Amino acid sequence: MRLRTVFFFIFAGVATLGLIHAQKPFHDYVGDPGVSTEYAPGQVPLPPDWGEPAEWSRGRLKYTSSGMVHPPAFNTGWMGWATDYPKGDRHFQEGLRRLTLINASSVEHVAELDGSDDIFNWPFMYAVEVGHWHLFQDEADQLREYLLRGGFLMTDDFHGTLEWENFLKSLYKVFATRPIVDIDNTNEVFHVLYDLEHRTQIPGKQFLQSRKPYEFDGFEPKWRAIFDGQGRIMIAICHNMDISDAIENSDDPEYPEEWANLAYRLSTNYVVYDLTH
Amino acid sequence: MFEFFFKYPRTLFNQGSFVFLNAWPLWMLWAGVALAAVGFGFLVWRKAGPANPIRSALVWLLQTGLAALLLFMLWHPALSVATLKPQQNIVAVVIDDSSSMAAADEAAGSTRKDRAIKVLNDGLLEKLKEKFQVRVYRMSDHLAKIDTLDQLSAQAPATHIGASLRQVVAEASGLPIGAMVLLSDGADNAGGVDLETLAEVRRQRIPVHTIGLGKEQTERDIEISNVELPQRVLPESRLSALVAFHQHGFTGQKAKITIRDNNKVLAAQEVTLKADGSEQMEAVLFNAGPAGVKTIQTYIDPLPNESNTRNNIVTRMVNVDKRKPRILYLEGEPRWEFKFIRRGVEDDETIDLVTILRTAPNKLYRQGVKNADELKDGFPSTPEELFAFDGLMFGSVDAAYLTPKQLGLVKDFVDRRGGGLVFLGGKDALADGGWQATPVHEVMPTTLPDRKGTFQWTPANVRLTPQGSDSLITRLVDDPKKNDKRFSDLPYIRNVQNVGVPKLGAVVLAEAVPMNGGGGALPLLITMNYGRGRTAIFATSGSWRWQMLQEVADKSHEMFYQQFLRWVVSDTPRPVTGSTPRTLLSDESAAKLRATVKDKAFLPANDAVVEAHIIGQGVTETVTMTPDSAEPGAFVADWQAPKQGDYLVEVIARRGEQELGRDAFTLRREDGTAENFHVEQNRELLSKLSSETKGNYYKPDDAQRLGEDITYSEGGISVRETRDLWDMPAIFLAFLGIRAVEWLLRRKWGTI
Repeated sequence: MRLRTVFFFIFAGVATLGLIHAQKPFHDYVGDPGVSTEYAPGQVPLPPDWGEPAEWSRGRLKYTSSGMVHPPAFNTGWMGWATDYPKGDRHFQEGLRRLTLINASSVEHVAELDGSDDIFNWPFMYAVEVGHWHLFQDEADQLREYLLRGGFLMTDDFHGTLEWENFLKSLYKVFATRPIVDIDNTNEVFHVLYDLEHRTQIPGKQFLQSRKPYEFDGFEPKWRAIFDGQGRIMIAICHNMDISDAIENSDDPEYPEEWANLAYRLSTNYVVYDLTH
Repeated sequence: MFEFFFKYPRTLFNQGSFVFLNAWPLWMLWAGVALAAVGFGFLVWRKAGPANPIRSALVWLLQTGLAALLLFMLWHPALSVATLKPQQNIVAVVIDDSSSMAAADEAAGSTRKDRAIKVLNDGLLEKLKEKFQVRVYRMSDHLAKIDTLDQLSAQAPATHIGASLRQVVAEASGLPIGAMVLLSDGADNAGGVDLETLAEVRRQRIPVHTIGLGKEQTERDIEISNVELPQRVLPESRLSALVAFHQHGFTGQKAKITIRDNNKVLAAQEVTLKADGSEQMEAVLFNAGPAGVKTIQTYIDPLPNESNTRNNIVTRMVNVDKRKPRILYLEGEPRWEFKFIRRGVEDDETIDLVTILRTAPNKLYRQGVKNADELKDGFPSTPEELFAFDGLMFGSVDAAYLTPKQLGLVKDFVDRRGGGLVFLGGKDALADGGWQATPVHEVMPTTLPDRKGTFQWTPANVRLTPQGSDSLITRLVDDPKKNDKRFSDLPYIRNVQNVGVPKLGAVVLAEAVPMNGGGGALPLLITMNYGRGRTAIFATSGSWRWQMLQEVADKSHEMFYQQFLRWVVSDTPRPVTGSTPRTLLSDESAAKLRATVKDKAFLPANDAVVEAHIIGQGVTETVTMTPDSAEPGAFVADWQAPKQGDYLVEVIARRGEQELGRDAFTLRREDGTAENFHVEQNRELLSKLSSETKGNYYKPDDAQRLGEDITYSEGGISVRETRDLWDMPAIFLAFLGIRAVEWLLRRKWGTI
């Protein structure tokens, strides 16, 4: 083999590694060792066009769970980052295609705060069950950098005081001093596509058994946010509600349509808000 | 020497016309020469035969030449020349009295003024007075008669040779001015002598004899020749001052160019000086700063032992406009490119980005609108509504979304309104959006491919072209080489769109180099001027990665879009625009004011009433501007700035009771600076002036010849004389020479 050919292959290898490092390819985590999901491999098949590139896709934040927040019998966060994954994501991607002109991919992209550049390729990040998350300081630092560069984080599906307190522990590692404020009804996030002044608590599928729209002591839904210096929402905090579950189960005839509908509308508004602010 | 051979001075030959005094027709001369040629040919051939053709030809040629010379003399050649009648004509002696004449660069350290006086006192003035009435004038920015040479001071702030010539010509219409003698260094501050003045001098047949004073080349000096800057810019704009300068005696040395606003240093750049006398151009970048009138001084630090440091500084006026141009951005789909462009220019207080976003098939989301009603029906459908914007930008939007009328308006927006138009790449943009089949295609900077599928999800790096390295749009770092590297180091763009072939006149500033190496580089950022406006394509929707994939502190993404969008709108005219060709009047007072007036549809408002209100230096004046027949909608006025200082000119245009618009600009009159420049003798100007008027250029040492030469002139009161040429020594020498050559040749050949 000539020296020039050797150099070519070395160069091509380095370039390819660099590209992969910058933006990781799509990966379906269902069935991966160490990942707990509600679905078995093949239960949620990949859409036929999963490999088609698109302008937009929702990033799902893969984080470390903090373990027990509630007593063992009540611990709901055992699936951590992968709760409702991937069905909730696929439903939402499809919903966006129907409801908006966003050129959305049919699949989500799972991203980690692993020090690589991957997460920066997905400026809209969704984190579920954040009442159980645990961010290490280097992860929090990267999340802060992500948000300050223009990234958007939507958090959802955590309930009551204990989960709120656990949520704050990691959040304060990201922003120790930025205030968490209730989003005013007049904020554009509730009007950018759909007018959503009148919102109700959106329960998860557990409602079908418990007939209660809340979990633990999370009686009141809270739409909160951390804003950036220009008054734009950086972190949307959907506390005491389970938007993710509502979208995941929107094809379940037993799950109330009005909550599924509101869940789509709310999530879509958050996405369009992010893409316009 | 010339006169020895040709009997008369060279001037006489220049001034006179050649004639034959013999009444015989001229054809007989040519016939005689031909007959002699044939006769000699026959005799030579009969005697020598074909034995030696070269010798025969030489003998034939010499004998024919001799016969031709004799025939020429028989026809009585002469010069017809006009000569001034003694004591009946006036000679105007004009002496440059500007401050550049105080330069002590003549022999023995004397000044140019002293040298001029010496030339006149050494006999020239006496010689002239013997034959003519002599009027002596001092020249500055006007002409003034003086009685004695003592009245010269070499202190006048400016030289206007053209104006002085016009004054002499005006006097010539009433006085018999036979010639003009101009003693000057030719350092004219009004840009030379205009063709109209030269034509008038020629019409009056006044020869202008020039005597050049001063060195033709300075020994150790650097001089700023020009500084190019726009007259008006947007606040905080990045500006490029194009500094032209030349030097003598400092080749290879370093010099420092500084840009200052009054005493505040805006930029400094070190340059290496090129060869002596060659014009050097350097671009110095700086920030225009906040709104207001800026007095921008370009300064080159004095070099060791520099002879003249007053020509190291040039002042320009720049109006940093308060206006906030508005750009309308129509986007066909919510996407990250849209979000990050909005964020990128959000902090730019000089640009107002108004957006219409198609969020859902039947929904629009407007941002940046003035009120709830603005653009409530979507993209404008009338020129009045659309032309209120300064720039337009289309994202991933299908051309079919606009009506044919709206598409026509977009074309007019560039062509007629003079706005800037940008197309971004996207899945529904450019060729994939069918824009190639619309009238807008004509104004685009490329010929789009006639097919779909031009939008490719191919990660690509960005590479600046040489034009891109020089462009202010793509200047992230001042140093061009570092800037090229900065661009090549930017995170890759996620996609690129094939935009086809750049049109003639389009400039490709950046290329996309696919990371997979296939297909070669594609034009990425292309600009073009069209009609009164300008257009650009930025063929990607993946530049948002420049923001997300770089640290928060990195401002590349913001800088690029802010500079790009400023370029889009910075030259977009308002309906009413006031201007002046020169914002700085150096040692002159005459200013030309100009206004272009359009209505809201940007059609020329020829019926407008336009006034210029001028305030400054205790002056408050209103000048009514008159329509310029050369350009519809243009109005002009002449105005004299009475004193040194700054003047604010506000142009107001009205149609009936309705005000069409107003605009303001500043101009400055500055005295005592013009003479600091072009201090070396401008021999080119003086030589051209004399040759164009049938005069002569003289060095001071040769100037005494002028006493004789000046006689030959068609100006004033002159008589036409003929001067015989048949008895010129040169003819007799030629006659003898021919015979001698023939004799010598025959001796050599042994035929005698």
